[in-house]
Amino acid sequence: MTAVVTRRRPLPITRRLLREGTRGLLGWALGLTAVALLYLPLFPSMQTPELQGLLDSLPPELIRTLGYENITSGSGYAQSTFFGLLGFVLLTIAGVAWAAAVTGGAEESGQLELTLAHAVGRTPYALQAAFALLLKLCLLGAVAWAVVWALNSPAELALDPGNLLAVVASWVGLGLFSASAAFAGGALSGRRIVAVGAGAGVAVAGYGLQAVANNSETLEVLRAFSPYAWAFGQAPLAQGWDLPGLAALWLGSAALVAVGTAALARRDILG
Amino acid sequence: MTPAIETRALSKRYGSHTALHDLDLAVGPGTVFGLVGPNGAGKTTTLRLLLDIIRPTAGTVRVLGSDPRTGGAALRRRIGFVPGELRLDGRISGRALLAHLAEISGPVAPGAIEGLAERLGLDLGRPVRTLSKGNKQKIGLVQAFMHRPPLLVLDEPTSGLDPLVQREFLTMVREARDAGQTVLLSSHVLSEIQQAADDVVVLAQGRIVASGSVESLRSASVRRLRAVVVGTPAESLRGALAQVPAAADVTVVPSPSADAVHVAATVRGEVDAVVRALMTGRLLDLTVEEPDLEESILDLYARTETDR
Repeated sequence: MTAVVTRRRPLPITRRLLREGTRGLLGWALGLTAVALLYLPLFPSMQTPELQGLLDSLPPELIRTLGYENITSGSGYAQSTFFGLLGFVLLTIAGVAWAAAVTGGAEESGQLELTLAHAVGRTPYALQAAFALLLKLCLLGAVAWAVVWALNSPAELALDPGNLLAVVASWVGLGLFSASAAFAGGALSGRRIVAVGAGAGVAVAGYGLQAVANNSETLEVLRAFSPYAWAFGQAPLAQGWDLPGLAALWLGSAALVAVGTAALARRDILG
Repeated sequence: MTPAIETRALSKRYGSHTALHDLDLAVGPGTVFGLVGPNGAGKTTTLRLLLDIIRPTAGTVRVLGSDPRTGGAALRRRIGFVPGELRLDGRISGRALLAHLAEISGPVAPGAIEGLAERLGLDLGRPVRTLSKGNKQKIGLVQAFMHRPPLLVLDEPTSGLDPLVQREFLTMVREARDAGQTVLLSSHVLSEIQQAADDVVVLAQGRIVASGSVESLRSASVRRLRAVVVGTPAESLRGALAQVPAAADVTVVPSPSADAVHVAATVRGEVDAVVRALMTGRLLDLTVEEPDLEESILDLYARTETDR
């Protein structure tokens, strides 16, 4: 046999997922950019007494539920309209969809069986797939940082670049946490729908818990169980790095990926 | 010689359903081994156990000397596998998908992928999701053969292929055997096994119902016999044939014109006793139809069914 030994490049699964995901990644980046361009430039025109009057006239419960307490500051506005709302939704959908595709989706489509019949172990497959997920979310984080920073002066947001980085780290961590829940759900079950349910469930529950906690001092304790609160509870865009919150998000994500990887390594791959 | 594949009392249960009962299998190195059976017989379950895609409930498996559970990636690098139900989707081209799989399992000799694609008539440039079932199957064959693994495990490899490509595939299997590779293939298309396999195991409902060389299965098989006999009354022929255990489905019809009697029967195993019974008269005509392995195996299924 005269097979030529080709140089083995590392992380074939990660590289393939990134290559195949380029188009999708570009779409999500454009979507996030569009959202930022839609909302952030409106900030100067909203610096009016009328808006403050309007906000004062709204029930404080609604303001707290929406997280609009600080909407009159640049950081509060960017937080409330972009990172805490549509940006959060888009990043969560992207991360959950990617995580569901590499676990339950790949298994249901038969792609996983074909890949695992080749020379890659279950654990390396899962870890490389999770790594691709992490890289894609970090790329979206980089895009978000760049777009918001580019709009900082024109939109008169007066953001601190370091604090912007801090909120992006929290925001990516929040997206990653839901994606990791989807990853674990898909890896445990082999079903895409379970993955999507787990990821979306964690995101919705996290948002809901902190919204309830915002309105009740007795329910304040719920905040501790909300990934959304871990990410934004300490207002990193205004206050800077929230290390305990970041640790909860990123280490929690790592734990969920570890659970999913262990499950995938142990069970039968469904046909 | 160590078998390329050996299973002992291999069982797989899904809840209360047992897909595979105590399977004992030994596939010699450098042979082409056929696994035949209807859908649900346990063929795919067996092959997926060999690849560690699923894990056995009981029993042991050795593939190329290793346990698939612990052999890991290094063992699977030495196996080429075509899944039973190959589904390919995505925008990725055949060439890119194969390059990706080659990167995982390689090394693949330069030009090997293109050479196989050309032999099978496969366009590597098209996105895999736009390919027909047959062309997807060709991708499956290329990814199994491309790194020239010592063992090929092919689950229904010819499904969807047109007859010309099937013939090319059979040539590829023979070449693989000649190069010392072991081939395990499953099929319910029996002609495929008949032409390619040295040895065959017939599975039904998760158990082996027959095994041996294609020739031995053939000789143990069912033949159709028709004869025209003169000089013996129909009743005595009927009586004589009733004494022969190998004969079944006997019909004896006296011809209206002469004293000839038309006899038809199915014969299991040797035809000798049946022919002797007919020789009480004078044989005007005798045809014994060459058994088709398909018919033999259907007969085996039928016997398994009635046994339970």
